[in-house]
Amino acid sequence: MARTANMMRLSWPRRAFLWVANLCAIAFLLLPFVPVVLGSLQSERSMQKNVHALLPEEYTLANFRLILSGGRSKGPIFEQVTYLPKSVERFPAAFLNSLLVGLAVTLVTLAAASLSAYALARLRLRWTQALFQVSVVCRMVPLIVLMVPLYVLFRRYGLLNSLSGIVVAEFGLLLPYAVLILVPYFSGLPSDLEDAARVDGCTRWQAFLRIVLPLSAPGLAACGVILFIISWHELLIPLILVSRPEFMTVPVILAGLVSDYFVFFTLMMAICLLGLLPTLFLVLALQKYVVRGLVTGALKG
Amino acid sequence: MTPGAGTDRAESPVRPGGAPRRSEVSAGWLAFLLNVPTLAGLVLVLAYPICFAGYLSFHEVSIRHLRAGEFPFAGLANFSRLFQDDVFWLSLRHTVVFVVASVALEVVIGLAVALTISDERVWLSRVTRVLILIPWAVPPVVNGLLWSFIVNAQYGYLNRALHKLGLITDYVNWLGHPRLAMAAVIVAYVWRTTPFNILLYHAAIQGIPAQIYEAAAVDGASSWQSLWRLTLPILRPVIAVTLILRTTFSFMVFDEILAITQGGPGNDTWVAAWYTYRMAFQPPFNIGLGAASAWVLAVIVGIAAIAYVKLVYRRVDYA
Repeated sequence: MARTANMMRLSWPRRAFLWVANLCAIAFLLLPFVPVVLGSLQSERSMQKNVHALLPEEYTLANFRLILSGGRSKGPIFEQVTYLPKSVERFPAAFLNSLLVGLAVTLVTLAAASLSAYALARLRLRWTQALFQVSVVCRMVPLIVLMVPLYVLFRRYGLLNSLSGIVVAEFGLLLPYAVLILVPYFSGLPSDLEDAARVDGCTRWQAFLRIVLPLSAPGLAACGVILFIISWHELLIPLILVSRPEFMTVPVILAGLVSDYFVFFTLMMAICLLGLLPTLFLVLALQKYVVRGLVTGALKG
Repeated sequence: MTPGAGTDRAESPVRPGGAPRRSEVSAGWLAFLLNVPTLAGLVLVLAYPICFAGYLSFHEVSIRHLRAGEFPFAGLANFSRLFQDDVFWLSLRHTVVFVVASVALEVVIGLAVALTISDERVWLSRVTRVLILIPWAVPPVVNGLLWSFIVNAQYGYLNRALHKLGLITDYVNWLGHPRLAMAAVIVAYVWRTTPFNILLYHAAIQGIPAQIYEAAAVDGASSWQSLWRLTLPILRPVIAVTLILRTTFSFMVFDEILAITQGGPGNDTWVAAWYTYRMAFQPPFNIGLGAASAWVLAVIVGIAAIAYVKLVYRRVDYA
């Protein structure tokens, strides 16, 4: 069943079985996207006209045009619509906010975690090893447990309704995970080059900056892309910390669609598709790094 | 600390054990300095807030108190209210159902897909492999909205497809029925989270040397036997890891609940995180009660977390 040597040939029933199993797996992975794509490419009217039809009568890009223009480019389909969900107008700004928060969280977390992970991997002291285990436990702290006190604290220190507040909270949430991904990576790097550099008079700090960091670029990339994706996905933190529209991120305005009293499903699917494209693209483009980071972060390499 | 300081170069071979060198800080200090940002993050954004949540759970905290900035001591009032609240127990019960069902599905589907894609002799496996992370890339709230459209009673594609196939004549109101609504949330959640399991199982299967299968085949083992007697026992540690990780994470399911059912119909899909959120951040804005419920959850998840540390990071060398 599992990986067997290539020279062992497959009997045809097993080959057929594996084909069917693969097709089932592909259906499991991709089928839920079909309604999203179909929904986003039709008008609400065409979707409601025939509730039994699988394929729309006509396809249109009007939903995407409306969202990407922030609700301005209405076109014939939305011309007579008097009510539009606020999330539509807010989408472009929220997209930018998500991008800013994601990049800031990724950079700050990566910087702090790489320093710490280097210390944990190379300077093995009793307390650094304890710190590593603390990181593992911290990674599993339920977010909602954190959000109740963070809300009260952020309120007191004026961090509510700001992008920096979101960054700080996500930094805390992601830091242990980043350490968990990076420590096994640094431990796996050969220390020969570093030792050589130290013989040549580099301090540990210089060896870290000039030898370890450049060598660990793939590990940092793996960690960074995962941090960005988790930050892009994060709903609860900005949902609780932010109530003013100008600081909302993509997941928050998407959650806003839920409480809207009148739902345009076609518009909702289009906005969903736009909201998931960045991370989908990252996962497909940087798959090698994502896979390595996820596996290392769960199974210590 | 200047690079290539001549005197230092001449007299400093690398000393094993990181003994302090004259011109640089000792290993202990360096480790501390390098960890300052992480320690600050852990203390300020994790440790202190969690302790503060404990403080809040023993105090009266509502919007009024937040404005005034003073939280009167409430003793065990929050906890006694929590434990007397039927909805809290209902939420915990739903959470257990949700966790058991979703984790079981994640493991079974994850193993099935991982075993399928691990056979390199079928080229389609390579196509599937590229696709496995796609659901993981979907933001949780988008995942929820996507499935809320799929299972929508009037326009949803699940009804359309089942009708086309002739399996139903009247459209089913999936989210109007307690069990079906819970099932819808579980399916949506499992779809998004199973790829993580597939990935870990696949990585573990790749690490199994092919020779042992050849040896088993030479000894006359059927592939069914080698699955049960070789592959699954070898995967046991990975399966244990995913069991714990997925349990703690699915305990906290929030986004899908918010996007698909908002706890409905009635209270039938209220789960632990949703309860805490509703109590603390929606009317009645009872943050003290929310903190108490958060602490109960933290204790439950903390037990699982410690089990995980014991299991995976037991040995000191984590290389």
